[in-house]
Amino acid sequence: MIVACRRDALEPGEALRLDGPETQGVPIALFRTDDGEFFAIDDTCTHQDASLADGWLEDCAVECPLHASRFDLRTGAVDAPPAKRPVRTHEVVLDGDTVFLVLSTDQPNLPPGIAPATTA
Amino acid sequence: MTLTEHVPQVDTLALEPGDQISESLVRTLPGSAHSSSEVFAAEQEHIFETMWVRALRASELPGPGDFRTVQVGREGIIVSRDRKGRLRAFFNLCRHRGARVCSEGSGSGRRSSQCGHHAWTYDLDGRLIAAPNPHEDARHRSGGVRPARRPRARVAGLRLDLRRRRRTLVRGDGDGCGALSRLGDVESIEHHGVETLQVGQRITYDVKANGKLIVENFMECYHCATIHPELTEVLPEFADGLAAQYVVGHGAEFGEDVQGFTVDGPEGLGRIPGVTDDQDRRYFAVTIRPNVFVNLVPDHVIFHRTYPMGPDRTIVECDWLYLPEVVASGTDLTKSVKLFDLVNRQDFEACEMCQAATDSKKYADGGVLVSSEHHIAEFQSWATAAIA
Repeated sequence: MIVACRRDALEPGEALRLDGPETQGVPIALFRTDDGEFFAIDDTCTHQDASLADGWLEDCAVECPLHASRFDLRTGAVDAPPAKRPVRTHEVVLDGDTVFLVLSTDQPNLPPGIAPATTA
Repeated sequence: MTLTEHVPQVDTLALEPGDQISESLVRTLPGSAHSSSEVFAAEQEHIFETMWVRALRASELPGPGDFRTVQVGREGIIVSRDRKGRLRAFFNLCRHRGARVCSEGSGSGRRSSQCGHHAWTYDLDGRLIAAPNPHEDARHRSGGVRPARRPRARVAGLRLDLRRRRRTLVRGDGDGCGALSRLGDVESIEHHGVETLQVGQRITYDVKANGKLIVENFMECYHCATIHPELTEVLPEFADGLAAQYVVGHGAEFGEDVQGFTVDGPEGLGRIPGVTDDQDRRYFAVTIRPNVFVNLVPDHVIFHRTYPMGPDRTIVECDWLYLPEVVASGTDLTKSVKLFDLVNRQDFEACEMCQAATDSKKYADGGVLVSSEHHIAEFQSWATAAIA
């Protein structure tokens, strides 16, 4: 489990991008939807290198800013091309004032040309 | 009125615009003021890109994601509402290699602006949020909720002001204090409740004339008897040649048999509540520098914005504004709109006549203003001083 942030770091409708050694070389996007719930998915769109934390968050899905494929925050499923593969999701655990993440053990669906960063 | 006085021989090279030639004649701007690219560029820089300029009515953008592109000076500007409904304004160009980002005139439901050249994408706050193959070597860190990983860029933002009466004004990034200055009774606008009115019709005119000629034409009525037969039917005192702005607070009175501000004078559409008995059956006019004219009659408001496109070309956008219930009812506005549409066309034709001859060597030093036009000299002096 890793620490993502304080609960009050995000207002409903906001997103946070986590990219450090704790995310194991794959940046993660943490979202807080309008009803106050937290969701975490891989930040990189599965189609091309764009940050989903910068995408359009609406209801329980986020739209990639580059080509508008929508990813469901609960399942990672994508609605329409050009992205074809789902994005990896991570479990969110709330404990007191802190938001924790349990990182997925699946392989990430990174777009062509992007590989997990290795700490040098 | 005919010019019976002999124009005295004076050393015209020594005269400045606004100089008195004789008791009743005052020098105008030189002809080159209407055709010089240098003058035009200086006006754009020091007037239109520095002063507060009326861009659009806030009600044209009712909700988040609504946008409209407007011209401010020489700059294309996108005015939009962000996700929280706040009005924002940005320069309409990509920070990558300068392409125009938004080519549509207006729209709604916009979530981002994506440049059609290389898909650099900006969110509704103007932040660059996506670009194909962002480069690792441009890694930047920023505080706040979203650390940026790509070249940190924004579409350049513009200061924006939501003034009273819910006009949206956009200000260039100059330091000049863009004071709203006006001729005519600005309090009249309050009574007509302009901010509550809606556009019944908009007509856009592409005029082959310098913007200053259009302002000067609007300010005087010496031409009214000659070129505005329909208007002088409705406002007989205009035949005397004194404009409604010549005396501050003076509203020109409708003719006795005239029932409304319409072609041939039939009844208008019902007085706007707030218009006082003193203001009923009168026409008021206000000029707001640098680019707005407001015309007020009891049942509607006619509202011009001028956009200089070049020394010899100006786009004029004219809105006819009515009570919301009048617009909603689908009433035929033809007779109401027709009168000032005619007036506009007649005025712009006159301006184009002036533009056509402005480069004659016989007009190199300009012409003359007669007594009823002397207030135009103040505008001309202001325009000259603004670019000095």
